[in-house]
Amino acid sequence: ASTSGAEHASARARGAAVERDEPPAIGIRCVAYNNQSNRLAVSRTDGTVEIYNLSANYFQEKFFPGHESRATEALCWAKGQRLFSGGLNGEIIEYDLQALNIKYAMDAFGGPIWSMAVSPCGSQLLVGCEDGSVKLFQITPDKIQFERNFDRQKSRILSLSWHPSGTHIAAGSIDYISVFDVKSGSAVHKMLVDRQYMGVSKRKCIIWGVAFLSDGTVISVDSAGKVQFWDSATGTLVKNHLIANADVQSIAVSDQEDSFVVGTAEGTVFHFQLVSVTSNSSEKQWVRTKPFQHHTHDVRAVAHSPTALISGGTDTHLVIRPLMEKVEVKNYDAALRKITFPHRRLISCSKKRHLLLFQFAHHLELWRLGSTVATGKNGDTLPLSKDADHLLHLKTKGPENIICSCISPCGSWIAYSTTSRFFLYRLNYEHDNISLQRVSKMPAFLRSALQILFSEDSTKLFVASNQGSLHIIRLLEGSFKHLHTFQPQSGTVESMCLLAVSPDGNWLAASGTSAGVHVYNIKHLKLHCTVPAYNFPVTALAIAPSTNNLVIAHSDQQVFEYSIPDKQYTEWSRTIQKQGFHYLWLQRDTPITHISFHPKRPMHILLHDAYMFCIIDKSLPLPNDKTLLYNPLPPTNESDVIRRRTAHAFKISKIYKPLLFMDLLDERTLVAVERPLDDIIAQLPPPIKKKKFGT
Amino acid sequence: MVQLRPRASRVPPSAMVDEGQPASEEEEEAEHGLLLGQPSSGAAAEPLEEDDEEGDDEFDDEAPEELTFASAQAEAREEERRVRESVRRDKTLLKEKRKRREELFIEQKKRKLLPDNILEKLTAAGQTNIKKSSGKLKEANLQKENEDCDKGSDSKKAKVQKVQSVGQNKSYLALRLKDQDLRDSRQQAAKAFIQNSLYGPGTNRTTVNKFLSLENKRLPVKKAAAQFLNNAWGTQKKQNAKRYKRDLFPS
Repeated sequence: ASTSGAEHASARARGAAVERDEPPAIGIRCVAYNNQSNRLAVSRTDGTVEIYNLSANYFQEKFFPGHESRATEALCWAKGQRLFSGGLNGEIIEYDLQALNIKYAMDAFGGPIWSMAVSPCGSQLLVGCEDGSVKLFQITPDKIQFERNFDRQKSRILSLSWHPSGTHIAAGSIDYISVFDVKSGSAVHKMLVDRQYMGVSKRKCIIWGVAFLSDGTVISVDSAGKVQFWDSATGTLVKNHLIANADVQSIAVSDQEDSFVVGTAEGTVFHFQLVSVTSNSSEKQWVRTKPFQHHTHDVRAVAHSPTALISGGTDTHLVIRPLMEKVEVKNYDAALRKITFPHRRLISCSKKRHLLLFQFAHHLELWRLGSTVATGKNGDTLPLSKDADHLLHLKTKGPENIICSCISPCGSWIAYSTTSRFFLYRLNYEHDNISLQRVSKMPAFLRSALQILFSEDSTKLFVASNQGSLHIIRLLEGSFKHLHTFQPQSGTVESMCLLAVSPDGNWLAASGTSAGVHVYNIKHLKLHCTVPAYNFPVTALAIAPSTNNLVIAHSDQQVFEYSIPDKQYTEWSRTIQKQGFHYLWLQRDTPITHISFHPKRPMHILLHDAYMFCIIDKSLPLPNDKTLLYNPLPPTNESDVIRRRTAHAFKISKIYKPLLFMDLLDERTLVAVERPLDDIIAQLPPPIKKKKFGT
Repeated sequence: MVQLRPRASRVPPSAMVDEGQPASEEEEEAEHGLLLGQPSSGAAAEPLEEDDEEGDDEFDDEAPEELTFASAQAEAREEERRVRESVRRDKTLLKEKRKRREELFIEQKKRKLLPDNILEKLTAAGQTNIKKSSGKLKEANLQKENEDCDKGSDSKKAKVQKVQSVGQNKSYLALRLKDQDLRDSRQQAAKAFIQNSLYGPGTNRTTVNKFLSLENKRLPVKKAAAQFLNNAWGTQKKQNAKRYKRDLFPS
């Protein structure tokens, strides 16, 4: 019964205990919601764009790596699931969601781009630039084409909004808002904004957001903390709300135009609703209904889906707050979701040499784990006899972010990929010294790799490229040989490809397409079978030693076990599917990012998400909804009977959190990498000062 | 004979004595002049003195030579011709020098430029691209500008072209560096604007430490700040200590 105890009494490598040069956490800059597909596009300050599938348990299914020169300031969806962004480098970028690359980047020739809006019909794109110009582009089937300029304004156009009919647009600038007539391109009204609410201020009033409603009302939010309602027909101010002492930085209106959400620099999100003045009258007015304080820093982006308010900002969290009155079924789905940690694994491990490779945006860090000779009981923290050692700090050249990286199990190879290049390094260990040698002339088809994996014996390298192909490279001493490429199979790309290889080197599994998980026979270099498609994306994949069972975790927290030699689901998998997982297991809100196995215990599956790790013991009975799911090991003086009664297959531990990575190093050692939230917050830019009584 | 009053201050009294008797009375005057501190333009004084001396000598000995008008004229003309010749020679020399330098510059410039054929292809591609994607151009006058400009000269639109197979199966972008600098500076200005608006003077910002510590301060039992230790304090001293330790105890 005490199978899990021995595993985690050994030395814990705590990343927080060692001084490391952590990069600043990457804040969220823009969000764009697509109603048709229920997907959310999120762009961060380093240029990364992530796509979240809100229907698939808010899983981050795709992402486009960032770039140093790309300071994205605007993001929007157009007709036909096309995604565009504009940034301070002056370029309009279109993203290809199937090929998972950037289709093209077109210079708008207006200087840095501050705002972008797609017309209600979805076929025109409006761009607001640094030089005060508003440019209209036509969206053609494969590109965008410049149509014309509107009247040029004096200062930069920081926000744009189309009237639902497409005839007028509102453009927020500095100290004023302009209303343009689309057909003529001329400014119809210029509405001057007070710098301070009922006062005088030296600081210019920046109109961070505008929204144009069907009845001609223009809602503006500005840096003085005001939300103002304007009548666009007359160009006059109708109503003024002072809601914050700091900037109100974002606004999003629902499709029904009966509610909108604004985000402030203090981290507060306000919900405004159109309510009747009295219960019987038809007259309605906008009322500020709910404040939400889920952020600590500036909320620079908000979105309004039919059922939820979405916000994101400098504190890096993505918060999705379902609105109770809009949610039909009041179950766990209506709970607040806060996405903080990555939905994919950024750490790889060399079990033989006890090394960990950490992937950051522009560099990799190689650490050797500390060791201990002490022993103890369950729950003890043992002193390290040898500290964790920072072996290598590998900085990437160029402005592109690292997409993926991996270290071989033997620790002799490190590979990583950016959009335009693929890097492979050979490491040599001599006593305490480590030397690095780059393998030159890597083939061009390896670049933009989505996933890199080494075989268990470190002789082969598997690379999944963004075009859907799978490449197998044989590694030789200091050089390589391209063995084979599996061409993309049928099916659309649903999520980033994940790879798993069997320890005996015979099987390779690849996920990511709508066709299901493909399993390839490496020895014969052909497709062996395909696990039936499941309607939720795969979040983790692994093949067990000796049994060659493929274990797949999906974003809805389902876990399947598929026998590769038998080409069918295992008995255990069928049993648990029939019974169903425990309801608390299914309600976990972070995806499983890593699965591994014990070399000597084929009945154990080890997996973890951000807040727990679990050892599934297939020999023990499965819990049903009435059983206590999280049952830590009872104290040893309890009788064996009680232990046996409460024991079930899912042994969950929440002692480490938040977990970024956890794996078995050998039979007796586990390594866990935590990322304390305080560390993240400590790295953030300054927040707005809040005066609290008594401080 | 005009006796010029000597400018006595520059010339020492001993010089005056050497000239002989007629200078004696002048000497006295000169001394007197010295004592009086007469201002003088020293530089003018000396040559005048010398001329006077020579003039005095010649006058005493011979009559000036007689020159006919014709010979003087001929001499003058000869003089003129010589001067003209020398000027012409100088001019041609300078011209040649300039020519040579100009050629050298052209050669250097040519060396710096890409080979002619590539340049031709670039501008040709630029022109065709402009004609194809005329919708790409922002203002009508810019388009006119492009049509007027010479081949190979600065063209704002030709700056970013994807040139297909200009070299041996290579495709590359031709960028004008000046445009890139302009773009970078504008991007920097934009970033500075954002930084200033959100974090600049007048914004009510505080540090993360203070922000996180607010709660600790309001607890019934007050706790320390979230980041109580200043790890950055005395980093130089710590580094020196480490280095010292390493030197003392090489492991």
